[in-house]
Amino acid sequence: MRRALLPLLLLAGCSKGPEVDLQYIAEARSLGFEWAMVNDLASRGKLTPAYVATMRESLREQLGTTASALTQPQSQYGNQIRALIAEPANAPAAKLRTHAGKLKQIEDSLESN
Amino acid sequence: MNPIELTLGIMTAVGGFVDISQVVFAALAGSVFGYSLIWVFALSTVGIIVYGEMSGRVAAVAKQPVFNLIRHRLGLKLGLITLAASLLSTLITCAAEIGGLGLLLRYLTGAPYLLMAAISTVTLMACIWVLPFKWIERIFGLLGLLMLVFVFALTAIDPPWEKIAAGFLPQIPPSLSSKELLNFSYFAVAIFSAVMFPYETYFYSSGGIEEEWGPKDLRTNRITSIVGMALGSLLSIAILASAAQLFGPAGVGPQIPGSVALQTAIPFGPIGLVLALLGILFAVAGAAIETCMANAYSIAQFFGWIWGRHKKPWEAPRFTIAWVSLLLLSLAIVLTGVDPMSLVQYAIVFSILVLPLTYLPLMLLADDKKYMGKHVNGRLAKVLGWLFFVMIAVMAVAALPLFLITSGGQG
Repeated sequence: MRRALLPLLLLAGCSKGPEVDLQYIAEARSLGFEWAMVNDLASRGKLTPAYVATMRESLREQLGTTASALTQPQSQYGNQIRALIAEPANAPAAKLRTHAGKLKQIEDSLESN
Repeated sequence: MNPIELTLGIMTAVGGFVDISQVVFAALAGSVFGYSLIWVFALSTVGIIVYGEMSGRVAAVAKQPVFNLIRHRLGLKLGLITLAASLLSTLITCAAEIGGLGLLLRYLTGAPYLLMAAISTVTLMACIWVLPFKWIERIFGLLGLLMLVFVFALTAIDPPWEKIAAGFLPQIPPSLSSKELLNFSYFAVAIFSAVMFPYETYFYSSGGIEEEWGPKDLRTNRITSIVGMALGSLLSIAILASAAQLFGPAGVGPQIPGSVALQTAIPFGPIGLVLALLGILFAVAGAAIETCMANAYSIAQFFGWIWGRHKKPWEAPRFTIAWVSLLLLSLAIVLTGVDPMSLVQYAIVFSILVLPLTYLPLMLLADDKKYMGKHVNGRLAKVLGWLFFVMIAVMAVAALPLFLITSGGQG
């Protein structure tokens, strides 16, 4: 949906910046926390190998799409999303939560403005 | 009444409520708004029970499936517009289901997504070609019941039942910003639309005719529509409530069907995960058959072709070509690489625009003593039918602006 609407927004010359990027920040935050949940459950043997591999690949792919949709990729949140993508597939859940938590802080501060 | 006779209602409801869009949408709704959208599921369930029962009654008494009525009551021009809009929305939904099947098989096996989508399509085609209608209902209706694992998972995580119960009361969460309020409204409209997808009544009423229902089957129709739809609603509400408990507080807003299966892995481990994925797989396969058949029924009924799975495929050649082509067209859409979850958002918005044109002719015929005799709408069916019609009309007007303003509930 986001990808479908992005060209329309750009064509219409809509505003750029953190306001427009807010939905992508929220999406990346959610994907980061989800990745952490998957890795946490996988480390406790609660998931199947095929599922874990597919979910990790899919989450990373979606994070890539989200990062490419940002209107300000060279921002604090852009860096944070790239750092998340750079993590290995089986990164510790705590580390992934730290990245996602930072995105959450940015999201909250932008929403309160 | 033999409980196995409920399978038409179960397949209609499981395939209608718990299709690929609803699985993700219910989880996202629970994650973002907690339990406060449960009432929308409950309300729209009453709506689809009212119209489902009505369409089954009209099929049993007047022997008229829904699309026959649309053409005769709306006339050729408006009928054609309804047919075109309905075909498009249901085709998009069917493509989303095929894509969903590819994704689900990938979670289960790790095999490539597009290959799995193609294999799913061929398998569905073989099932529709070979199996009698009754067996299609039974296999996909009953195997879709594996999704009950979501209800057990909800019970196992011991959620705040009082909050879930409170969610059944119509409400808007307090202290929402104007942006959040718009998102909440979009979710409410989209849930209502997805629960009342028009293809459910096309499939259900045509199924009644396939099964040669007559006035003696009206009790079966009533029980089937109530039990089937209520079951579909229960599954959706269980997914929503688990998401409110597990995903919302963890900051997760699920966007893909695989995420939803985590709800059962948390309490039950790999067995829960596999059961959930299989349950969703069969429900989505049922939805793919339902959408494809609903479109073929609509076209055949509108143009007066011979139709029905009770006939051999070569005895209803144009009908057969229609459902085969629709399945292949859906696969072709998936093979373009379009995201199935994006497709589904368009289908939801588009289908609500068709809803008033679908349910108005049905209401008019069910109210007509000349056709229905003593089985004409009673006072309750009449009041509820018109009440829901007004709601549908209001939502049809609000759907598109809300979709655009909120970027499909994202912004």
